[in-house]
Amino acid sequence: MDSAPENATAPSGAGAAIYFDGKSSRRRLVTLTFNDRLELREALEQATEWNYADIRRADGPAGTLRVTCLTAPALARLEIRDAAVAAELLSWCTHLDDNVPGRHGVAAIVGWSVAAAASIVAVVLFGVPLAADRLTPLVPQAFEARLGEAADRQIKAVFDGRVCSNEAGQAALEKLVGRVKEGAGLDASVRTAVLSTPVPNAFALPGGTVYVFKGLLARADNPDEIAGVLAHEFGHLRHRDSTRNLITSGGTSFLIGLLFGDVTGSGALIFASRSLVTSSYSREAEQNADSFSIDTMHRLGRSPKAMGELLLRVTGKDGDRTLSILSSHPLTEDRLARMKSEEGPLTGPPLLTAGEWASLRAICE
Amino acid sequence: MNQMVRTPPALPASVAFSGQRGEFRRLVTRGALLELVTVGFYRFWLATDIRRHLWSHTSVDGDGFEYTGRAGELLIGFLFALAILVPIYLAYFLVGLEAERFKAFASFPLVAFFYVFGQFAIYRARRYRLTRTVWRGVRFWMTGSGWAYAARAALWALLMPLTLGLILPWREAALERYKMRHSHFGDLQGSFEGRGWEFFKRGFWIWLTAVVALLVLVLAVPLGKLLPALLPMAKVMAFVAALVLLIGAPFLYGAFRAVEWRWWISGIRFGDVALESALPRNALSGLYWKVIGWYLLIAVLFGAYLSLCAALAANLAQTSMTTMFVSGHLQGSIPVLVAMGIGYLGFILAVNVVMRVYLLRDLWAKLIDSTTVHGLEAAANVAASGDLASALGEGLADGLDVAGF
Repeated sequence: MDSAPENATAPSGAGAAIYFDGKSSRRRLVTLTFNDRLELREALEQATEWNYADIRRADGPAGTLRVTCLTAPALARLEIRDAAVAAELLSWCTHLDDNVPGRHGVAAIVGWSVAAAASIVAVVLFGVPLAADRLTPLVPQAFEARLGEAADRQIKAVFDGRVCSNEAGQAALEKLVGRVKEGAGLDASVRTAVLSTPVPNAFALPGGTVYVFKGLLARADNPDEIAGVLAHEFGHLRHRDSTRNLITSGGTSFLIGLLFGDVTGSGALIFASRSLVTSSYSREAEQNADSFSIDTMHRLGRSPKAMGELLLRVTGKDGDRTLSILSSHPLTEDRLARMKSEEGPLTGPPLLTAGEWASLRAICE
Repeated sequence: MNQMVRTPPALPASVAFSGQRGEFRRLVTRGALLELVTVGFYRFWLATDIRRHLWSHTSVDGDGFEYTGRAGELLIGFLFALAILVPIYLAYFLVGLEAERFKAFASFPLVAFFYVFGQFAIYRARRYRLTRTVWRGVRFWMTGSGWAYAARAALWALLMPLTLGLILPWREAALERYKMRHSHFGDLQGSFEGRGWEFFKRGFWIWLTAVVALLVLVLAVPLGKLLPALLPMAKVMAFVAALVLLIGAPFLYGAFRAVEWRWWISGIRFGDVALESALPRNALSGLYWKVIGWYLLIAVLFGAYLSLCAALAANLAQTSMTTMFVSGHLQGSIPVLVAMGIGYLGFILAVNVVMRVYLLRDLWAKLIDSTTVHGLEAAANVAASGDLASALGEGLADGLDVAGF
């Protein structure tokens, strides 16, 4: 400890500063002495000494140099408001700015972020579909059945749907479904019902329920059209597309959510990029379900293109209205063209008689 | 003020904010651009830099604050939060599934769980920020249970719709009492002296104006139809109410926030140190109007940019604009979609800059300038105490998209 009077031994000047020792909030007026170590001397107290190499800058208001020391308590702060004294201290401290945040520049942050973003995008585009393909067979059927039950209740609540089941119509439906199942090679676990809803639509729920809406029956011209749609939905069931879809959309939302985090208002952007990605998965699923439908209709010796004609009638010229890369279903005209190219001679017997067809269409009455 | 005449205390200590507006604007503009480049990852560094700026330019009695938090802590907190949130989201999905099997939409109340969890995150995030706040070489710190706070916040929130929001002052008072009771500066314990009734008295007219205008707007014309003679008058009343709501909303909201801030600041105590705010009721409306003005301007620019993109695409595709929009030739045009996406990001980031400059920096400066501190001699020799808290709460708040303090 240098005990000599500060003014006498100060080799290169001295100055006043404020010192907080990090143990109490008492404001200490200290005199700085620039010896081979920095001396902080409060009147009547023993001096504190700091090595110049251990002194680091801390955030401070403009016009104040605020420093701390690695060997002092973590929150000890020395505040110098006199520009000349500050300049003097700056000239002694060689490692002053070593701990200042952002010192290593934003280049590293940007570089790592871009790398992280690229890896996330790669996982979304390649990893997630692969994981979904591998995981889907591992999901137990019992879980799918539970999913299906939950979805079933929601659909009935949303569409306010009553299941249509007048006797003649139900008999015709069962005959038609039986024929299609036979052609598709599916077992009895698949259930089919008509919902009394004017929307022209049909879909498969996980666990094996296929719903055809009354609105679709009303727009259909012949049993082959409905049979093709049923076979398409059975294709989704066979490929377990809803489970795969659940995994892909869950994984994709999570990963894309990581990217933008809390950039307020970017919800729309996350939604848009997610729908771009997931629609490309489901386009593939639709194509596979179409193939399944075409094969089934071939096996039944009936027309594969009937379903395409029904879809075109329902959706109109689809291609004129939507962005094709956004649409979850491939363009209906494309799909129709594919089904037409598969068209062969009608070798099988009609799936339903004219009478049965009429009862099926009247199933909700 | 009569008390001051009777027993003259020490002069109130000055509280000042010395930050340069231009410096803050450059900070957040640069930050917004970097957020764009880093697809949002820069947010941890930006949040830290904003706090460092605001804290270090704020001083009480001539001594500046310091924010000692670092971006790396926030990043790690966010990663830990993700590790916690993923299983929670999965469990939420599975429980929701069982509830849906029981009855359609029975899983809806489960959202309540995320509200409670969000309140927990807010409490823990506040604790992180407080333990990174240093003044005179002594840190602030916080104890208390995040879950106990979340339970209180949720129970009070249940009463809000039942009382049409009139319970708000008492809810805030109770929650602030909990937070401040568990806040400390060194060995000085905090407390909150604000009374719900005080806030209610000052803010009731705002609630009344908004509710009455809303009721008139919704009910005047249907009621007028019952009495055809009064229908024209009812229409005029509905029009006036709509005008009051539309033009008056920024004024009403600004007045509400000003009353709330003033009441809140004036209630804060640390030991015998007392804060007092003299924020005028009309101090904040201007900020909201400026934000609205900028928002409209940016929206117009964004609209112009979108039309420019579409026009360029039409030029490239050799089709007229009308055919493009009517018959959907935009289909498959990925460059246009990308340009629009980038424009949208720019729009969001510009809005963020505006919000941060006006509703963060300017608001902060106004609040600080309105504040005085009494009894600061009680903080002249406070012993350091308390430990640092982790940034997990910040990460959870980020992951759950909730904000508050």
